Amino acid sequence: MSVGILTDITKCIGCLKCVAACKEVHKLEEDEPRIWQKDDGLSAENWTSVIRKPDEHYVRKQCRHCIEPACASVCPVGALHKTKIGAVVYDSGKCLGCRYCMMACPFGIPRYQWDNPVPHVEKCILCYDRIEKGEQPACTNICPTSATIFGERGDLLKIAKARIKDNPGKYINKVWGENEVGGTSVLYLSDINLDFLAYPVNLGTKPLPERTATAMESVPFAFVGMGGVMLGLNWVIRRRMKLSKEQGKEKESADE
Amino acid sequence: MNRVRNTKLVLWMIAGFAAAVVLNRFIFGLGVTTNLNDKTPWGLWIGFDVMGGVALAAGGFVITAIFYIMKREEFHPLVKPAVLTAFLGYLAVIFSLLVDLGLPWNIWHMIIYWNPHSPLFEVGWCVMLYTMVLLLEFSPVPLENFSRYAKIRNFLMKFRFVFVLLGIMLSTLHQSSLGSLFLIMPFKLFPLWYSNILPVQFFISAVALGLMMVAFESLVSHWLYKREQETNLVAKLCKATVWVLGIYFLVKIIDIILQGKFNLIFDGSWQSNLFITEVLVSTVLPAIMFAFPGFSKNRKVQWTGSIMVIIGMMLNRIDVGGLVMLGATGDSYTPLWTEIVVSLGIISLATLIFLFAIEHYHVWDIKPMEPEALPYTPPVFDDASKTWLGTPEVSGVTKHSLAFVICFAFGMGLMPGGHLHSKGVDNIKVTRASGFDTLYINGNRDDQLVKFPHAAHISRIGKDSCFVCHHLNFPLENLSSCSECHTSMYTRVDFFNHSWHTSAEGANLKCNDCHKTGMTKNTNSAKLCSDCHTTYKFADNENLINDKYQILSYVDALHNLCVSCHAREAKKSKEKENLVLCSTCHKTQLSENMAANINWKIKLPHFNNVILPETKSGDTRSK
Repeated sequence: MSVGILTDITKCIGCLKCVAACKEVHKLEEDEPRIWQKDDGLSAENWTSVIRKPDEHYVRKQCRHCIEPACASVCPVGALHKTKIGAVVYDSGKCLGCRYCMMACPFGIPRYQWDNPVPHVEKCILCYDRIEKGEQPACTNICPTSATIFGERGDLLKIAKARIKDNPGKYINKVWGENEVGGTSVLYLSDINLDFLAYPVNLGTKPLPERTATAMESVPFAFVGMGGVMLGLNWVIRRRMKLSKEQGKEKESADE
Repeated sequence: MNRVRNTKLVLWMIAGFAAAVVLNRFIFGLGVTTNLNDKTPWGLWIGFDVMGGVALAAGGFVITAIFYIMKREEFHPLVKPAVLTAFLGYLAVIFSLLVDLGLPWNIWHMIIYWNPHSPLFEVGWCVMLYTMVLLLEFSPVPLENFSRYAKIRNFLMKFRFVFVLLGIMLSTLHQSSLGSLFLIMPFKLFPLWYSNILPVQFFISAVALGLMMVAFESLVSHWLYKREQETNLVAKLCKATVWVLGIYFLVKIIDIILQGKFNLIFDGSWQSNLFITEVLVSTVLPAIMFAFPGFSKNRKVQWTGSIMVIIGMMLNRIDVGGLVMLGATGDSYTPLWTEIVVSLGIISLATLIFLFAIEHYHVWDIKPMEPEALPYTPPVFDDASKTWLGTPEVSGVTKHSLAFVICFAFGMGLMPGGHLHSKGVDNIKVTRASGFDTLYINGNRDDQLVKFPHAAHISRIGKDSCFVCHHLNFPLENLSSCSECHTSMYTRVDFFNHSWHTSAEGANLKCNDCHKTGMTKNTNSAKLCSDCHTTYKFADNENLINDKYQILSYVDALHNLCVSCHAREAKKSKEKENLVLCSTCHKTQLSENMAANINWKIKLPHFNNVILPETKSGDTRSK
């Protein structure tokens, strides 16, 4: 089973209750604007935020829980991993603080506790503990207009496509998160372009971890290959030196 | 020896500054001591120290390959210094990584928690193993000084070929894997640098940089100790570099053409100019310079060429490591001086250890003269202090440690105090509320103003009760607005004007008028404002006593003022119940119906220190 969240931008009224509920459930501290925070409202204490867009559009930003997460694939100690239910979760006990996950995330989601001398990475964990207990994530649970709903990813995709079909002209004919970087568990349905949620480059439908996979697969070959080349080179050069020495000796003896 | 000693003095000074910064970084965290942020989590320490440091240390494996594998015996004088540089380079990389990592004490986790998909995992392991291999490769040199370790030394010497081979294999892996780190970021890295063969490019450029680093180091150390330059050997290195740079250039250009990005080079954006500069400085110009017949034996050409390759290739590492990502992230990261100082400090420390090693061990065939071994000289008074600091070696140590300590103190003093004490809270200046009967208060909420009906409040509370809200005035003023004292949106500020109180034009007070005698003159020994200004009405005396003269941020002050009064009023009658709703003051763009349906409660998600009606026992102002 793989669960997810579907957010319908046309239904969101920007009440920020999801933000407040998230803070309450995860016992996140109050937040102040810090010098290291950037525009979108996410921070180590804000795992989800609502971005205002023109004409009463409110876009909730949160971790997309990619099907093949780049952050989990690059973490050198496996502190991030994707659980069976689909949430990408973080194990602070393993983390060593390299922040490679923050570099690799195509949506720029993971945040750092920059003010803390013992800092951890912070991001939405899809309330996986609540889901395991049979509850909904806090944000979808509290949403007063059902703009953001929880369910199995397959069902949500069906709902999204049905909404597009039933309301012709209301939505842009695209479910954000269906195919990008191999698909994400958090889906968006919208009447405005949501490409600003990711970096301004066409990410393609290929999962990002595949890009490093080829390089990483060739590592053992490079290792053994370089050793072999060096040994071979050494053997050839030694043999040549030996031969030239013998030739020199032969010459000397011939001269005598 | 003055040249060496003065160089060491400068290096110790930089190290002192760096030590202060590192100490602060571990006490206060990364955010307030660097310019790293959520959009640029990797800065100078990764781009320059780690990426560049590993590449600079490539000289070790390149020169051992030439000497041991290709059997070019004439390079023997360069082998030991190169291996030493590589070893120190890797130590420097590990050290800067420890400063940069958020949880450096967890670095050993890489040994037990494996994630072989991660290029960083592989780089980590290789760096760890290669540093050990380098230690084994180099340790015969210092062990030479101790006869009782002769057995160990012989053992190490026997397996030297194995270490060398292993070192080359490991270097191949992680030099290239540093490039693999960025394969997963096609969305961040500018297309001119992003390439599927980034690992290959990194490896080839590391070989070129390694060769030039060995040459540069030979030039510098021989200049420093005034020894005869190894011009012929360096010339051979330069000749070899021409070939490597040629291959690097071809691989890079052909790859760009095949990917169809060639037109990007000349499109005039800052990235394209940077790319042209980088390729010219790192590859094209030095290769042409060295390729001219006879030029590579010219010492000036050797100096300029090697420095150009080093700077150019370092620029390449910095570009890939973050500089050309700024276009995609839209951030304007420039390293804070602290970051630069730490980078320089780590290089300084490594250089100091290098100088120590060549003075004490047989890194070179002939050891340079140590200061201690100088012939006896009569006492000489120091130029600056006019005192005799002791014999040459003692005076050297005295000066160096003094330089270190003084610079450490300076570094501590220079730390960005505002950042440290406010824990990085953005100091946003308050703009004064505008309007007359209706005041428009900008609470920094995306220009969504709070409409405050001032006239309506006056008529409701009564004309004589201005002081209910206006609790304190500036001297000679009747109605100071909130923003006069609460000048910062989110941080607490000091509002006591010390210089005015001591000035002749002001209160003309002496120290002991406020500070208790016999105590340090600080806020603890001072009187409270209310001790003298008995008629003033301070907003909240508790706050003043707890953090002497620190007043609340604008947001907290206004929330305190409005919310507490609204809450009292809301309790009085059912009609006024929705006075406590956020939407009473903060109008959203929602229609009234929609907003009413949401059932807001007072639970402010964003701000600190808002004293909510339930927790507030009594209000001093209401009396």
